[in-house]
Amino acid sequence: MEKKLRAQLEKIVGKGVVLTSKEDLTTYSYDGTATWAHMPEVVVLPTTAEQVSQILKLANDNKIPVTPRGAGTNVSGGSIPIKGGIVLCATRMNKILDINKTNLTATVEPGVVLQDFNLALAKQGLFYPPDPQSFLGCTIGGTVAENAGGPYCVKYGVTKQYVLGLEVVLASGYIMKLGGVTVKNRTGYELAMLFTGSEGTLGVITKITLKLIPMPQASKTMMAVFDDMVVGGQAVSNILASGVVPAKIEFVDNFILRRIEEMMPMGLPVDAQALLLIMADGSPAAVEVEAKQIVDTLKKSGAREVKVAKDAAEAAKYWKMRSAGFAATFGAAKTVLAEDVAVPRDKLAEFIGKLGEISERTGFFISHLGHAGDGNLHPAIFTDVSDKENFAKAQEAMEEIFEAALSLGGVLSGEHGIGLEKQRFLKRAMDPVALNLMIKIKSLLDPNHILNPGKIWEEERV
Amino acid sequence: MALTADRFEQIKRFEKDLSQCMKCGFCTFWCPVYQEERIEASVARGKNMMIRGLLAGELDYTQEYADRLNKCTLCMTCTANCPAKANIPNVIVAARADAVKARGLNFPYNIVYRWLLPRRRLFGWVVRFASWFQGVFMPKTEGTIRHLSMFLSALGKGRNIPQIAPRFLRQMVPVVNVPPASVKTRMRVGYFSGCMTDFVLPHLGKHIIDFLTRNGVEVVVPREQGCCGAPVFLGAGDFEAGRKMADANVKAFEGLDYVISDCATCTSALKDYAKFLADTPQRKKAYEKFAKKVKDISEFLIDVLDLPASAYKPSAVAKGKKVSWHDPCHLSRHLGITSQPRQVIKSISGVEYVEMPNADRCCGMAGAFSMHYYDLSKEIGDKKAASIKSTGADIVVSSCPGCEIQLIDSLLRNKVPVKVMHIMELLE
Ligand SMILES: Cc1cc2nc3c(=O)[nH]c(=O)nc-3n(C[C@H](O)[C@H](O)[C@H](O)COP(=O)(O)OP(=O)(O)OC[C@H]3O[C@@H](n4cnc5c(N)ncnc54)[C@H](O)[C@@H]3O)c2cc1C
Ligand code: SF4
Ligand code: SF4
Repeated sequence: MEKKLRAQLEKIVGKGVVLTSKEDLTTYSYDGTATWAHMPEVVVLPTTAEQVSQILKLANDNKIPVTPRGAGTNVSGGSIPIKGGIVLCATRMNKILDINKTNLTATVEPGVVLQDFNLALAKQGLFYPPDPQSFLGCTIGGTVAENAGGPYCVKYGVTKQYVLGLEVVLASGYIMKLGGVTVKNRTGYELAMLFTGSEGTLGVITKITLKLIPMPQASKTMMAVFDDMVVGGQAVSNILASGVVPAKIEFVDNFILRRIEEMMPMGLPVDAQALLLIMADGSPAAVEVEAKQIVDTLKKSGAREVKVAKDAAEAAKYWKMRSAGFAATFGAAKTVLAEDVAVPRDKLAEFIGKLGEISERTGFFISHLGHAGDGNLHPAIFTDVSDKENFAKAQEAMEEIFEAALSLGGVLSGEHGIGLEKQRFLKRAMDPVALNLMIKIKSLLDPNHILNPGKIWEEERV
Repeated sequence: MALTADRFEQIKRFEKDLSQCMKCGFCTFWCPVYQEERIEASVARGKNMMIRGLLAGELDYTQEYADRLNKCTLCMTCTANCPAKANIPNVIVAARADAVKARGLNFPYNIVYRWLLPRRRLFGWVVRFASWFQGVFMPKTEGTIRHLSMFLSALGKGRNIPQIAPRFLRQMVPVVNVPPASVKTRMRVGYFSGCMTDFVLPHLGKHIIDFLTRNGVEVVVPREQGCCGAPVFLGAGDFEAGRKMADANVKAFEGLDYVISDCATCTSALKDYAKFLADTPQRKKAYEKFAKKVKDISEFLIDVLDLPASAYKPSAVAKGKKVSWHDPCHLSRHLGITSQPRQVIKSISGVEYVEMPNADRCCGMAGAFSMHYYDLSKEIGDKKAASIKSTGADIVVSSCPGCEIQLIDSLLRNKVPVKVMHIMELLE
């Protein structure tokens, strides 16, 4: 069977891009999560939509599971081939097909790495705001399938706000076109949105048209130091209420800031309980006014100190510090459970207060890092999977965090998706009719459930 | 002790690096091998996960495993940019060593690495023997470059390689080279002549020795020195043979305060003895002491010798020319030497320096890597050739004969008429 499948796949894509050795399969068994792993039976790297179509037809006829994959940087178990079968990896579909400076759009293949795209746009003075902090690795297909976001999303919105058109290969092998290259489009249902954030369960994305904006002319970065995390959280709400929307507002707690200072000494105030990193951008005049207003609000909200970066180099230093946050968190223990809850932005301080209570009650230290301007935090708990008892308790503490977020009107996942990691909680976080509708849509588009099976909702519901 | 010797003795020494990787995948952006292949086994994250698989008993020493581990230039770009500061190349070298210990080396590398490379004189004879055949049987190619047969033909597969020199360096210079009578002797150093300088580019070695003596440095070229061991312990993971070579070199330079090298790979390999090969406290001490003495030639000129501006006169070929610098991985990322060579070039009167884009990007040579994976090596080299072309430079210099071979080959293939030289050839 395996040999036959390999031969059939090789007929479609050619030799050398169908991987079956145990060594290669091992390297497609994981993603960015700490604990999920499963081996596929075969990995295939197509280069055209036509090849993807034939692969899916073959898989559909034989009811073989297919897990689409970009760079495997997701942190929800999304690209793990939990049922074995085929991993369909898009990393060789990496051509930027078009950058249109007059229409302010770009069309790309799904395997284009976000940073390669950013560099190509920068050459033409263009800007694509969604900036998941994995931009050096993640593919644009992966960001669409996860509807990823990042620091810039406070002002500019997440991936879905930029997707104008998609080409998607359905489980049947049909290559379907959705949306187009216009900013406005009222032709029927917003089906392109159905596939945006679908985590590879509805179809394989083979082409993406994105909206662009001109590169903002100026920006200013500020760093505010707080002696109390809750006060820091409240400052975020105060800024938004004051009438300015900064480009980014990021939150770093004492634990992470000390870890970063250890990793890359840069003179951070290691006694601070929280840091807010804020950027204002736009025209030079507007940036001046907004920055002043932000600084005033921060001071009024109880910041111990507010630093405004003198120049681009100092600003870059602060943002580099922020991007080290992920490594600082994940390097801190054997197993790190980092979550992705989002709460309404006016509830941030209250949520941070609740996290403090949970930490005290469960005895687990909780670190805070996140896109505060979106109310999206990544509270992390440090444990060790091999210590069963501790791990189970850590998971319980995690559940309490979810409950706290939900009780404030928040959501389970702000940007990382449900995948395998959070499906246990989905029932509690969704209207049951809506959940059912989702499963029906899945069955309609993929009746044999070959596309990324076992993801998003718990299996027994099917 | 021997009975309980661990199967993963070397890997375990780098357990911290092994476990530090958090699988973020950022290395995919930097890895020259991944950039060509775009498969997970190319890159640090994938290789590290395979090694974890081996430790967990899920993978074994198969041909595929060896192949995936060999497909790495050890350029360290992944490490330089890793947010978790995981040094996966360390783990890869260690894993190669454990594999060799468990399974041995394949023919012909077992003969070459274990037997031939440690015997410098015999090695010289074999190379010489090969050069006769090279002249007799192989067609000449452009310029002074020829296809090389036999022994070095492993490097060949159509690659343009400089020919074997008619006389080796050791036949051209005495052991002790003293400054001319008119010049005061400032210091005494040892000169490490890597295999390439000794057999292929002896005029370069002679030129460097002359430059140093003219500037008041007495240069000793110990005959007992041998290959640095890079292809043996870093490339093939043969630590046992590596130790023999290391011990010989340490001994050869005893009593000298500095060991000057014109080859980045040799320089970093000589300094790496302590990290990889120190199996006893004595060796550790000796290797660490030795490492401190080893200096790259530009580093020596700038940081130690501190010559007056008048010493930096251009050679005839360099006069009035536009020159660019390629950072060898073994110099820039392995040793952090980036400013000194640039300073040397900028100090030469009448030479214009121009920086190329991505000057520190791996050229794709990496010794045995390019013999095993010449096509891949070519693709990586093409990117370098494009960078060089974009500068409009007349000359590109480096400080690693290995890189220079790759640059010559890549530029010729891409029809870019830029001359490749060693940085010291810019100096009179
Ligand atoms: C250090 C780090 C920082 C991160 N920061 C952020 C952040 O700030 N914001 C954020 O939102 N996320 C972040 N992430 C998560 C992750 O990078 C994003 O989810 C990203 O979008 C995944 O892209 P990928 O190419 O790696 O996709 P993969 O991980 O390969 O796949 C992700 C999902 O998309 C599906 N998929 C992939 N390609 C296709 C395709 N062509 N067609 C259909 N389905 C497909 C897969 O099946 C899977 O379900 C971070 C991750 C890391 C490791
Ligand atoms: S960049 Fe470092 S931590 Fe990230 S995957 Fe590569 S080796 Fe691992
Ligand atoms: S050392 Fe270089 S070639 Fe090897 S994995 Fe790291 S980046 Fe890739």
